Amino acid sequence: MHRRSLAAVAAAMLLAAGCTTTGTSTAPQEDAEGPAELLFWNTGSDEQAAAVQVAADRYKELHPNVTIRVQAIAWDDGHAKVLTAATSRSGPDIISGGLSWGIEFGELGGMVDLNGFDLGQAKQQTRPELWNSITSPGGAVYGIPMDMTLYVFYYRPDLLQKAGVSAPPATWAELFTAVDRLKASGVATPLVEEWGTFEWLPWFNYLKQAGGSLYSEDCTQVTINSEQAVLATTTWADQYRRYGVPKATVDVGAGLAKGEYAMAIGASYLAGGFDSGQPELRGKWQTAALPTGPAGAGSFVGGKIVGAMSYTKHPRAAAEFVKWLYTDEAVEILQREVFTRGGELYISPRPELLAKANASDNLKQTLQTTLNSVTGPPNCKGWETSGSEVSRRLQAVVNDNADPRTALAEAAAVMQGNLG
Amino acid sequence: MLLPFAGLFLGFLIWPLLNALYFAFTDFNGVTPPSWTGLDNFRRLWFEDPRFRTALVNSLIYVTCTVTLSTVASLALAVAFRGTSWRDRVLRTIFFLPSVTSTIAVMLIWRWIFSGERFGLANTVLSWFGADPVSWLSTPRWTVPLLVIMAVWGGCGYGMVIFVSGLNAIPDELYEAARLDGATDWQQFRHITLPQLKPVTTYVVITGLIGAFQVFEAVYIVFRGVSSVGGVQDGGLMLVPYLYDLGFTRFQLGYASAIAWTLFLIIFVISMIQLRVTRALREW
Repeated sequence: MHRRSLAAVAAAMLLAAGCTTTGTSTAPQEDAEGPAELLFWNTGSDEQAAAVQVAADRYKELHPNVTIRVQAIAWDDGHAKVLTAATSRSGPDIISGGLSWGIEFGELGGMVDLNGFDLGQAKQQTRPELWNSITSPGGAVYGIPMDMTLYVFYYRPDLLQKAGVSAPPATWAELFTAVDRLKASGVATPLVEEWGTFEWLPWFNYLKQAGGSLYSEDCTQVTINSEQAVLATTTWADQYRRYGVPKATVDVGAGLAKGEYAMAIGASYLAGGFDSGQPELRGKWQTAALPTGPAGAGSFVGGKIVGAMSYTKHPRAAAEFVKWLYTDEAVEILQREVFTRGGELYISPRPELLAKANASDNLKQTLQTTLNSVTGPPNCKGWETSGSEVSRRLQAVVNDNADPRTALAEAAAVMQGNLG
Repeated sequence: MLLPFAGLFLGFLIWPLLNALYFAFTDFNGVTPPSWTGLDNFRRLWFEDPRFRTALVNSLIYVTCTVTLSTVASLALAVAFRGTSWRDRVLRTIFFLPSVTSTIAVMLIWRWIFSGERFGLANTVLSWFGADPVSWLSTPRWTVPLLVIMAVWGGCGYGMVIFVSGLNAIPDELYEAARLDGATDWQQFRHITLPQLKPVTTYVVITGLIGAFQVFEAVYIVFRGVSSVGGVQDGGLMLVPYLYDLGFTRFQLGYASAIAWTLFLIIFVISMIQLRVTRALREW
């Protein structure tokens, strides 16, 4: 009797566990107006989730049969949580997350290709560089941009003036001259970086400013081992080796407030926290576009995508809400609520609405200028796996004095292998 | 009576283990059904994967240093504070506290101590001597030593408690007889305490060794904010964080399962060797 019961329990567990890998989905309900109850995992803070919930509640007023519940998931484990949801085919209907997550999870079969839901308007309203980043090599769009993060040059005008620097540096040469002068004037760490510090992200800015690229336009060739990339790598490495830029992430706001730092190359999201986190910094900081290189301006653009999970029972309702987030009304709600609840700046993927953002004129001007020269992460096959490998080779140039050409050749070999 | 336990045991231990063993022989990305690849994952792991070799070497250095230093420190603390006085009780409690404190909280404090900024405790101390701040967490040569310091600090209290119970179980008659024969304190420690503590030492070493091989939180919490999993240039990459990185960041769950089973085999073999050596020493 006992043996039989044990066998029954084991068989039930085997069956249950088997379902986690094979998975079956119910036939999707195709009515955009519902009835549908959707769960939305928004990667980010609780305040951001609360802001999105306000937008979702407004959507419900317009579409009474569609209820959307927004939950916050942290950046730290969001990636693993979404993978678990995709594996078990249970969890949220909609997710937002890193710009590259759409292609990652979509190519695994975890997300809906939104091309089937008329994305024409959204595509038209998004910068082509950003749209290209979220489009898979095969043309599928598993998630559309929800917000953008740009690189901004932050600085303390008073400290620059004290050091004899009259304007924010506009070129690489001016940047490093300013570092020397600030150091001489007593600023302990004239320049810091934040957002992917000591990783490939800030290096990518130099790569674009030097005129280089990671892959060819059609993703058939790796181009990281170019002369432009060597110049970018040497300059990026010199930041740390000659100009004392910290290799670890620092608290930019606190450092600027104390006058320990005078300039920072950092993410646009930092701007929202300066005045609230460091009241003594109010009115003392300004922004500018990143200094240009020999090939002109250029910087990385990141942000979040939002898309529907492949197992959702309501793909059309989910897709319609995702598209609605592009409307003027939704963007205005998010701009207002994200700022009100968390003091953060929400940058919509629709650049023409930037003027309505809660930011100073100087910051808006900086963002507008930066938007004209941004490039998103590559959508080429294998980049997700290659990114950290590239970082390791770049770090070796700084830490081990590795030859930039050798380091980039090694990175190119890894990228080519992952490209297939 | 046994059925609930048997159900949980099968469902939450045996089944996942067997499932992971099966996945180790497949190409499985977590979403699409796994496809059988035979020994490919293990061949790639042992012969073609430089990151695995880095993780293995880092883990072996970390385990050797951590287990050795922890065991020695635990024994020293136990000998020093084995008594029943208030002073010994209070000090034992203080040294044991890290073992019952939230790992995440402790690791966040370590991250602050070794922050690369001037306000980091380590850099503040350096500044008293006029030294420039050090980027502790983003300098690969510091990664493993820092992890060892954290592990020894956090683990020696637990070992101390085990050693104290072992010390108190040694019959006093042995020491009295030794003293009558004129044995010094060191001779008593060398010829009575250490041999009598062999079973306890074996337990402390083997459990320490298993725990050290499975280190994850320290690497993940302290170094993840600095660079990708494993820190700058994989300076602190260990086996379990590497397993996590491949499984949950890169969706190579089949390959990650191969790492998990390789880790199991490494721990199993080392533990068996340790047990055999201990038995041989006891018989000798």
